[in-house]
Amino acid sequence: MSALLRRRAAPYVFVLPFFLVFAAFGAYPLAYALRLSFTKWTGAGEARWIGFDNYTYLLTSPEFWASLGNSSVMWLLVVPIQLVAGLGAAVLLSNAKLRLRGVFRVAFIAPFVTPLVAMAQVWIVVFDRDYGLVNHALNLVGLPDVGWLTSTAWSKPTLALLFLWKTTGFAIIILLAGLQSVPSHVYEAADLDGASRARQFWSMTVPLMRRSLSFLLVIQTLAVFQMFAEPFVVTQGGPYGSTTTAGLYLYDHITASDLGTGAANSFLLVILVFALSLVSVRLLRARDE
Amino acid sequence: MNDKRPGIPTYALLGVLALLFLYPIWWAISSSVKPAAEIISDPLGFTLGDVTLDGYRAMFADVPIGTGFANTALVLAIKGGMTLFFCPLAGYAFAKYKFPGKDVLFGIVLLTLMLPTLVLIIPLLLEMSALGWVNTYKALILPGSIDAFSIFWMRQVIAAIPDELLDAGRVDGASEFGVFRRIVVPVIRPGLAGLAVLTMMNVYNDFVWPVVAVNDERHQTLQVVLSTLAQNISGNRIGADFATVWSELLAASSIAMIPLLLVFILLQRHFINGILAGSVKG
Repeated sequence: MSALLRRRAAPYVFVLPFFLVFAAFGAYPLAYALRLSFTKWTGAGEARWIGFDNYTYLLTSPEFWASLGNSSVMWLLVVPIQLVAGLGAAVLLSNAKLRLRGVFRVAFIAPFVTPLVAMAQVWIVVFDRDYGLVNHALNLVGLPDVGWLTSTAWSKPTLALLFLWKTTGFAIIILLAGLQSVPSHVYEAADLDGASRARQFWSMTVPLMRRSLSFLLVIQTLAVFQMFAEPFVVTQGGPYGSTTTAGLYLYDHITASDLGTGAANSFLLVILVFALSLVSVRLLRARDE
Repeated sequence: MNDKRPGIPTYALLGVLALLFLYPIWWAISSSVKPAAEIISDPLGFTLGDVTLDGYRAMFADVPIGTGFANTALVLAIKGGMTLFFCPLAGYAFAKYKFPGKDVLFGIVLLTLMLPTLVLIIPLLLEMSALGWVNTYKALILPGSIDAFSIFWMRQVIAAIPDELLDAGRVDGASEFGVFRRIVVPVIRPGLAGLAVLTMMNVYNDFVWPVVAVNDERHQTLQVVLSTLAQNISGNRIGADFATVWSELLAASSIAMIPLLLVFILLQRHFINGILAGSVKG
């Protein structure tokens, strides 16, 4: 009897620590933030109830939309390239007859292990307009300097490159895991039918990998719209606000002590990210069924 | 897969990609031991004879990087320990027990997985100041110490263990926790090693929360210390010591990444297999 009781109680005891931490540092601040988002508060004194004013302020503010626009461009520069190139690299790496597989795997995942802040600083040095490594190399082959971090045209691609460099190895590993479960007879049949490798990739590998691909799509969409350390360290959001991402704009409300607006901004971001995730998962599923 | 022997184009493509991925790391570390002036005058070159630690000496004098390392190590030990103990335990409950409310509880875990960290930053900061926890280790350690992703991942890993193995343990009279400790833990050791490396990376690299929660030098983690150096640089842009500042910056960046790269090289098999063991199939 007592063994049975203990068996019944055990799972609750085992999951309890998570829910305690979540209640204290997840659910409570979340509920608090929701209330905060309907008030005007500078961090001191009384919070004043202002209804939906924070939300309407944001939704009519050009800066808010600009930050979403910057993040959307960043998403376009990162996610499609990462999914397609990552899957291509994973397919090459999954070949059992490939030599040096281990070496390639380590090389691709190594950037994922480096601290983001450290590499962001390296980016400052490497992409400096006047003394940086990249422009130095361009000059050697007769090309002019490019304002990688000082022109609005290049600032986003340069930060996107940092993000791609840092996280594509992780995407490759996730996709390798997915590829392991694609049955080989599918490819044998296609070979007999004479389908080319390129065709096999688009009409078989991609649909068969839709679970791994949608997993990555959701994870990376979340990551891109929360992108913070890259612009915070490398460009501080400039030049001319061109790298003020949704994440950095949110942080600006803290430094400006405009906490109610910041909270409202958080919730608008959550809604957006949830919607984006749902849409992208739906799209991937629809193509297949 | 019906693999054909890969040709030279495959090797060339993978080789070039691998070099592109490794070069920034090599460049940062090799430039950090170059004489400062050469980082600007000859960024591509590297001569072994010119190796100097001047950048490191200057950097140690300028920022409390030792304190940063010590704080990160402390947070890592406690937060990592909590993750590695409580997350597999909760994952085990979700993978191997049937209990009323399980679906709802697991649903909450999945929802928090989707919650952007940034949403919590402001209210969490206010909570910390209400508790008087700003500039304390508690603030750095407790939020996020038992996270949904690790629970979700461990559930995937533990679900693969056959039930018979667990029942055999119960027949032998092991307690509920005994089954976890003596049967589950040894079986999932590769997954745990993967989780350990991933947790170490996440805690070590964590930046957004530490930069908000802590602003006195005594409690700053390594990444926060690093970022203050970067801000000094952008303040000093027209200074005569441009090259010296860069040299310090590269020294700080290199010293921050070397421990993690070493751990990764030593444990890379566990790390990659750990991710493979826990990720989605298909």
